[in-house]
Formats: sequence, structure tokens, C-alpha cells
Amino acid sequence: MSEERETRVFMITPNSMITPDQLVREIHAMGKGVTVKETCYGTLAEGPRESVRGVLKEIRKKHPYDIYSKVRAYPAGDPRRCRAQHGTKPGFVQLEAEWEALPMIQYGIQCCERGEGFDVPREKEKLSAEEFKKICEAVR
Amino acid sequence: MIKIAQLSCGTEYSSVQYEIEKAARSVGAKVVYPDVSYADVNEAVRRFGFSPRSPQLRLMIARAARLADEKYDADAVFITTCFRCAEAALVRNELRRFIQENTKLPVVTYSFTERLKAAQLLTRMEALVTIVTRKDVLARERQAGLTAGIDSGSSTTKALIMENNKIIGKDWTSSGDVVQSATSVLENAMKEAGVEFKQIEAMGVTGYGRFTLGKHFGAKLVQEELTVNSKGAVWLAERQHGEATILDIGGMDNKAITVRDGVPDNFTMGGICAGASGRFLEMTSKRLKIEIEDLGRLADKGNWRNAKMNSYCSVFGIQDLVTTLGEGKSFEDVAAAACHSVAEQVYEQQLQEIDVRHPIIQVGGTSLISGLVTAVGEVLGERPIVPPNSQYIGAVGGALLSSGFL
Amino acid sequence: MKIFISPPNSLILFDLVERFGHEPLGAMAAIQERIDNIELDMPPMNVTLDDVIGGLKYAGVEVPSGIRGRLSLWGPLIDTADAAIIVEDPPFSFGCVGCERSDEMVKYMLHRRGIPVISVKYPENSEEAKAAVGRIKEFLEGLK
Repeated sequence: MSEERETRVFMITPNSMITPDQLVREIHAMGKGVTVKETCYGTLAEGPRESVRGVLKEIRKKHPYDIYSKVRAYPAGDPRRCRAQHGTKPGFVQLEAEWEALPMIQYGIQCCERGEGFDVPREKEKLSAEEFKKICEAVR
Repeated sequence: MIKIAQLSCGTEYSSVQYEIEKAARSVGAKVVYPDVSYADVNEAVRRFGFSPRSPQLRLMIARAARLADEKYDADAVFITTCFRCAEAALVRNELRRFIQENTKLPVVTYSFTERLKAAQLLTRMEALVTIVTRKDVLARERQAGLTAGIDSGSSTTKALIMENNKIIGKDWTSSGDVVQSATSVLENAMKEAGVEFKQIEAMGVTGYGRFTLGKHFGAKLVQEELTVNSKGAVWLAERQHGEATILDIGGMDNKAITVRDGVPDNFTMGGICAGASGRFLEMTSKRLKIEIEDLGRLADKGNWRNAKMNSYCSVFGIQDLVTTLGEGKSFEDVAAAACHSVAEQVYEQQLQEIDVRHPIIQVGGTSLISGLVTAVGEVLGERPIVPPNSQYIGAVGGALLSSGFL
Repeated sequence: MKIFISPPNSLILFDLVERFGHEPLGAMAAIQERIDNIELDMPPMNVTLDDVIGGLKYAGVEVPSGIRGRLSLWGPLIDTADAAIIVEDPPFSFGCVGCERSDEMVKYMLHRRGIPVISVKYPENSEEAKAAVGRIKEFLEGLK
């Protein structure tokens, strides 16, 4: 399976009503022959690449804004990365941080889909030394 | 199973993580990673006060904070980062201090390259396990009863008898057969002390022949030299508390150990080349046709600045020596230059791997060469302490620690 | 098209690139290739001494081993990328991308290749997020 294997993280946004348990059942019900494992943030789905991609396609259709996904290098439950073996590995904090950022991204995607325009945030410029000097002198 | 918390950056990408876990397993320990959450990271960095750019170093800080807060259960700490990374070196050393100030956990640090030195790693892991499992033994600061210590080193074997915190007999010889050499020095030491073998209440053995000797003499303490030498050195120098660096420039290789309250937390071992070892001084004295014992005194009278000698390598070093003598420089200046060259090489090649802490306690046979001690002092900016019987640190450590079993 | 993402292990970037119809190139593929190789036994990642030495292609021997090891993983991906998205100053860059110097070098290597690269500031609020997603979408659509 090594060439073909694909393991995917499906992460549910913190503001979604979908639970990891629901998602697991949903993927099972698709009958694509992938293994599904519930996680803190959603699920891990694993199986032949084509089948996993099939799952992704359906999830995208059904939950376009609530669920986000990337592939994962390690198979589900791999002892080399399993939390139960050693404690958390660095990538765990990464997932946690991204999970917290998802509602913002979700909003961004929804706005884009609606065709809303956007302003590119301007880079903040540093106060000139001249200005700063004036302020300092005024305070003195 | 002893749990060693690993705080690290770069191990997996340097192909050394597997070696670290293997070394831990081989001494009956297991590597673990303190659990942290994303929210912990920034909070821990703020509290620590050093804010590195690299996220993995920030994660190390958060993990250290978990240990300090006793939110994660571990027995020892191993802090390791890539050699030559300045940011990591600063964090590594400050975290070492943070762990020592905020926990009672033993800590050992290490900077690695992809060419990891497996033996050095193993000694560190073994020392960590010793510190955990023999905490009571290592806490000992006074020798009690009548005990013996034997240090079976690669070039010399030393034996020493102690009674009520005093050295009462000692001897050394160059190492031959492990048991024979040890027996002979032990007998001489006992003779000087005026005691018989059956009177000795406990014995501690260290050095590379420790397992053989431990069995042969039925020693109560058989222990690696990192912890034993450290205890011996701080006892001899009367520096049992606080920080120190123990420097042992050997005939073939060098050791530098940093300690806190007599317990080691990092060390560097080995020399890249004989140019940075006592062997170079031996070659120099041969070329000058003087005894090595006289080289130090001669060097003290000379000025190294008058003779150019700066060698990475003993072959080039001797070439320098020949040239310098050919130019008609004095023996004193040449001897001083040889000592200075060794000190400089030790500093440049080895001491950069550890954080040198003060005072520096210089030990081992070469610490008797006064010119070398002077040179080390000049290079490091502080004259090292050379305690009496400085060549007996391992044997003293063995006698001292084994009295803990009485 | 193949889009290199930086940070290369980001779930958000991986998702956006796929969502907008391209193939993301990230850390996961390079690591999976190694961990699935049953002939290697250097857990957890099977990054070998040869990999680290191979990193000399990107940085000299005076550069720490961890940086060379990382570059040996991402380097070949950068070489095959058609374009790249860089998120500047993300709060999430742990694990694979824990070394700031390696990350800087990766960004530099992307710029040097001369492929289309977009740098997006990590959003601090919803409005900035809208702009970040919008710019990434425009960039990816423009590549078609």
C-alpha cells in the first residue's frame, strides 16, 4: 500500500456543529472502503489514494466551509508518531494552532465565494526618527 | 523505567533521533516529550524571557516550563540542539540553568552534528541514569569509615585509601593488565595507609576497567567516570557547592565536565588531534631532551610570545618546534609556547562545545605541569585551581561515594 | 500546477491550494516517501545520514546539520514547483518548520528559482483573512 496509501486529516472548524463522531459515521456511510479514526479535531481517513480522494470530494460538496483537509505523512496510529508512545510530537501544536485560525479562514473563503472585494492590508510603517524625536522633546 | 524528557531542536532532521532513543534504551531509560498545548508556548516564552525566532526552540521552552511546573512527570532531562547554531546554543544553556533552578531533575546537554559520537551520547545517558538511581550516593560530601577507590584508566591505574574524610594512602602506575595493575597500586596504597584488605569496608571502582575490577574485588560501587570524577574533583578542590568546570587534559584525550553542586550536567570528551593533548608535551620534552616534569617549570620561566607555535596537529607542531629551536629561541620560550599551544587547542577545539563555568578545576596527570596550568589560565582568563592529588580524582570519587554504602 | 507551500506543513495552505484546483507540494509528501521506505530503519522519520550530507547541495558544512537535513527534504520539492505561496509570520510553524533559518532559506530558494511566488501576511482579523484568502485565490486562478 505504500505507493498508494493516503492518510488524510479532516479538521472541523471550532464553530461548526458537526462532531468528529458524526463525521466518522458519514465517511463510513460513503462505503469507499477507507479506515476512519476519530481525533480531537475531526478524523483521520486512510486507504488507497483514489478512495480517500473520493471521500474528500464528497466532503467538500457536503461541507464546503466546515471541514478542512491535508494529507498526513504517517499512517494512523503509527508508533513513530503516536502520542501514547512518547507524548506529543511538535506537529500536534501546529494542528492546534491552525485549528484556532480556521474560523477566520472560513470567513475569508465565504466572502470570496460571494465575490466580495477586499482591501490588501497596508504594511505598517515605522515612525520616523525625526517624528519620534519631536514627541520625546514634547514630553520632556 | 526511567523517563528522560527530551528538549531538542533538529534531532530528527540530523538523523540522530534514533541514536538518542537507542542510547536511552540501552541504559534502561525511555525518551519522552512533555505535553504542551499551543497556548502554553507563548506564555512559557514570555515567562522565560528569551524569545527565540525558531518555533522549535520556543516549544523547548514550553516543555521545560511544563517540567518546572511539575505538570509532566519525568526523571531526568536531556537538552540537545544542533552544533553551530548560535540561537540554539543560547537557549540550550539557559534552559539547562532554568531546569536546574526550577526542578530537582538532573539535566545533561549535548550539541550534535550528523556524525553523532555514539559513545559520548551513551556516557551522557548512563550518567543521567546514575544521577537518578543513585541520588543518595551522589549527595555524599564527606567520606566515612575506611574505604578504597580504584580508577582503572586507559593509560594509568590509580588506587587510594581514605579514612574519616582523609586520604591515608595512594599509588599509581601505568596501566597494563587491568587486575594486576590495580592489585599492585592497591597493595602499595594499603601499605602506606597501614591497613589490610580485610579491614576495608567498601570499595568504589571507575574507569574503563571498572566492570572487571568490580567483580574481582567485590566492589560496592561500580560507576562510570563522569559522575565519579566530578565528585572526586569537587571534594579535592573543596568546591562541593555551586558551579565549576573540571578540565582534564589527558595523554590521549581530554575531558571537560561542567558541574553544579558536584553533579555533572555536560561534558566534552576526546581530542580531534594529539596537538591538543598531553602527548604533544611529551613529544616536546623528548625533543628538548628534558623530563616532562621539568617542562612545566621551564615553561613558567619562558614567554610563549617569543616562539611561534600554533598547531592543530602534533606533526606540524613538532615542525614548528624544530624551526623555532633552529632560530635559536630559548628552551624556556619554546616550552612555554608548547604549553600555550596545547591550551589554545583545547580551548578552540573542545571547550567551545560546553559553557565554561567558573572556577575551573584542572585535574589529571597534566595538571602537575605548571606551565600548562599557567597557559590554560591565560587562555581562559582565570588561573585554574589545581587541587592536591589532582591526578587521583577518580580514585577519590570511588572511595568517597562507596562510603555511602556503609 | 504544483504549488509549494510555506510553511510546508500547513493544513490551511494545503487545503486552499487543493480547494482552488492545484496540487500542493508540502512537507508531508517528502516525509511519507521516507517513512514508507521499509528498507530504512531510522525512526521516527527515516531521515538518514545520506540525506543530511545531501543537504550540502543547498548549504555548506558550516551550517548546522538540522538545517541541511531540512533543506535536503524540501529542496527537491522546490526544484519541481511551478509556483509558491508563502505566509509571512504565521503563528503556526512548529514541527517540520521549527527552524527559522531553514524557513528563511526555503523562502530565498523559492525567490531564486524565479517561479511565481506570492507572499501573504498572516491575517490578524477577519478582514485581513478575507484579503489573504482573496489574494491566494486570485494568484492560483491566474496560474491556470
